[in-house]
Amino acid sequence: MTVPVTLHVNDVAHRLHVDGGETLLHTLRERLGLTGAKEGCVEGECGACTVLVDGSPADSCILATAAVDGRRIRTVEGLAAGPALSPLQQAFVDFGAVQCGFCTPGFLMTLSALLDEVAAPSPVEIREALAGNVCRCTGYRQILDAVAAVAGDRRR
Amino acid sequence: MTVTVGSSAPRGDGDAKVRGAAVFGVDFALPGMLHARLLRSSVPAGRIVSIDVAAAAALPGVHAVVTGADVPNARTGIVLFDMPLFATDYVAYEGEPLAAVVAATPEAAAAALAAIRVEIEAHEPVATLEDAVADGARLVHPGWADFETAGGQDWPRAGNVLSEMVADPGDVDDAFDEADLVVTDTYQAPRQYQAYLEPKMAVAAHESGRYTIHVSHQYPFNVRDRVAQTLGVAPSAVRVVGHHIGGGFGAKLDIGLEAYAAVLAERTGRPVKLVNSREEDLLTAPCRENATVHIRSAVRADGTILARDVEVTFDSGAYAIDAPYLTSIPMFIFGSVYRVGTARVIARAVYTNTAPTGAFRGVSGTYLVFALERHMDHIARELGVDRRDYRLGRLMRDGDAMLNGQVLDDASILAAAFDAVEARAPWATLGKGPNQGVGMAAAVWLTNPQPGQATVKLNEDGTLGVVTSATENGSGAVAMGVRQVAAEGLGLPADRVVVTMPDTDATGYDAGSQGSRTTHVVGRAVFDATAKVRELVVRTAAGMLEAAEEDLVVEGGRVFLAGDDSSFVTLADVATTATRSDGPIAVSGSYKTPAPAFNPTCATGMLFPIWPTPTYHVHVAEVEVDPVTGRVTVLRYLVAQEVGKAINPDGVIGQIQGGVTQGLGYALWERLDLDGGRYVQRSLETYGLPLAVDVPDIEVMLLEHPAAAGPYGAKGVAEPPIVPVAAAVANAVADAVGAPIDSLPIIPEVVLDALGG
Repeated sequence: MTVPVTLHVNDVAHRLHVDGGETLLHTLRERLGLTGAKEGCVEGECGACTVLVDGSPADSCILATAAVDGRRIRTVEGLAAGPALSPLQQAFVDFGAVQCGFCTPGFLMTLSALLDEVAAPSPVEIREALAGNVCRCTGYRQILDAVAAVAGDRRR
Repeated sequence: MTVTVGSSAPRGDGDAKVRGAAVFGVDFALPGMLHARLLRSSVPAGRIVSIDVAAAAALPGVHAVVTGADVPNARTGIVLFDMPLFATDYVAYEGEPLAAVVAATPEAAAAALAAIRVEIEAHEPVATLEDAVADGARLVHPGWADFETAGGQDWPRAGNVLSEMVADPGDVDDAFDEADLVVTDTYQAPRQYQAYLEPKMAVAAHESGRYTIHVSHQYPFNVRDRVAQTLGVAPSAVRVVGHHIGGGFGAKLDIGLEAYAAVLAERTGRPVKLVNSREEDLLTAPCRENATVHIRSAVRADGTILARDVEVTFDSGAYAIDAPYLTSIPMFIFGSVYRVGTARVIARAVYTNTAPTGAFRGVSGTYLVFALERHMDHIARELGVDRRDYRLGRLMRDGDAMLNGQVLDDASILAAAFDAVEARAPWATLGKGPNQGVGMAAAVWLTNPQPGQATVKLNEDGTLGVVTSATENGSGAVAMGVRQVAAEGLGLPADRVVVTMPDTDATGYDAGSQGSRTTHVVGRAVFDATAKVRELVVRTAAGMLEAAEEDLVVEGGRVFLAGDDSSFVTLADVATTATRSDGPIAVSGSYKTPAPAFNPTCATGMLFPIWPTPTYHVHVAEVEVDPVTGRVTVLRYLVAQEVGKAINPDGVIGQIQGGVTQGLGYALWERLDLDGGRYVQRSLETYGLPLAVDVPDIEVMLLEHPAAAGPYGAKGVAEPPIVPVAAAVANAVADAVGAPIDSLPIIPEVVLDALGG
């Protein structure tokens, strides 16, 4: 049994037929070729699959595509404007917030949503926003530094 | 003056990674690719009665179902050849592969997996270290005395003890007789899961009689050699191509899924992809080993340590992997950092019916240093002296030898590291509040010496290409270290260098990202090659500029006369001219760290006898415990680490912060318990990885004592920061609660027990 859905992914509309149990992560990776979002655990624990649904972070590995019919989806591929990285992406590069990079797309999506909601989040707000994103490489400090730099630029 | 070495240039793969454009192993696909799954044993021990695949093979979309009866299923390994591709007669651990299915879709593969009928007559598992060495214990591998070994070497092994290392200089008991004080302790350490976020994967194809295997693996040449060994083919019949690696931390050093994918690709004539689920990955990683450490010290009233007597037993699980090497590690822990008169060290690796254990960053060192440093606190307490003063009085100095006889020429760096921490955070001021405590720990760690190779070429646009199979596991060793070393050699910014991904067909041997070796060893190969590239550049430019070679400067993409940069040629001009005259400029470099002198008779069964290119580490933790909940909060964490030369300081600091965080997880939060041979925690949800809210600021002080052999003096950096963490934290918690902490992790129940609640 498939259902028709329309997804607006990174401002491009896609009309698809999906199984009721198909996850958004599967749709993005296997059908739309957007492999930036990663499958780390399939239990909504690691956050590597995080995408934005109508601007809010969601674990796409446990979210049915049929449940986001008609919604606006943003993935890591939709953050940069052509060659120019978003300020957060650029800060990740500049502050050493990337090591293996497997968690990076999820962190960028969670933190982009935070920065959209709160212009200059506090260190506590940043750490708490990351409760659903695991990084095994960095120890988080350089990620927090990158976000703080973006927030600091906005305060100026 | 350097151009890029010593600067925190952005890493070469950062842009691709923040765009989501970097292709990791799990992202890789080939046209016509099929999807495989492994059927794994659900019991830890038993006799396999039957495996019936007929129903599974008949399902729609299923291309093949394979068991041990269908493949060359010889036992293979790194040192001890004990592991078959599929279990056939008996199961040795929960998660051991029994069969593989390959189908058109992952869903069809999953359906086929469910249709395989397996009958196993379960045995009582050899579940614990105590079970394994008990009198009359069942052998995990009944016929293992006849298993082959690498190069036909052998070592003491019997019963379920697969490897025993014994160092007994003969004077230890006398020293204990002379002691004023004998301090005795026993410590327990748990397993730890590497928990890289990209599960293990492999994509294999079989073409023209050769296997091509796409991996995200720390050690592509080991994949080549181990797959060849497993399939009974020549190494040259296997090509391994590397892609971005979503973390490894040691778990991606031995083969994982590659040989299964290769077998299935050959069987079906189609490319095959195999990816672990998170549960499969956790169950089979191989995790850091659980261990028990008994330690006694013979101490004189003035604090002198006359002798130590150490016995380490660790759990190798069902297969050896690298365990016969790991039994050597205690020799480098219990006779280093602090002077000891003499020491007896016995280390045993033991088979059990549990998932195999293996390499995890800081192999064995995490719990050996935990044992040593908890014990040092205990001795100081018995003597009634300050714990820091006691350590300072025992520190090794330049020219002191470790237990293997290897002399540390620069051991006084230890004292400098203690001083560096003291200058930032005086010991006497820490841990003074209610329910607070402070602890310290130190270590001497190695830089893995194994060989590496690279070719450096000057491209016709004046950029540099580095062709190497060194792997970038995320540490920055390639994307920062190797790249910046190459750039520096021609006075270029780092972004003028492109480094290839690994390909075992295209490059010389590389021993993988292990033991912090890449920047030091491959960096040195690149340093040497780049120096020769520079010579060719200068020679060509001298002809173009009609100048003497010794008058020329190479910098900023140009070659010019010293003192007159108006007369110059660009590196692009030089490369093009050279290509059209003498031929393209490309030079290869190879390097392996020479073995330091050591005493080969210091022990028996010591397969890993040296500790090359040592680095020095001091960690201090300040903690507060909540006496009601038992929760430990790390208030301050300080690291003084000697790195030789920081090629990229931000990168080095990131490695230290990340390594310490993994150490904090090991010390405080990560749980991997065994019950009846099976893991209790089976998902990331229950495992307890550190999150951003958990981690304190980690204050890092870098000490630079350049190594003559290293590129610009660089030594190994990334592995050791995990090593002293559990020790420092445990000492701090013990100080806070006023009672010993002798096991890890220090979860709230442990703290409350220690408080007597």
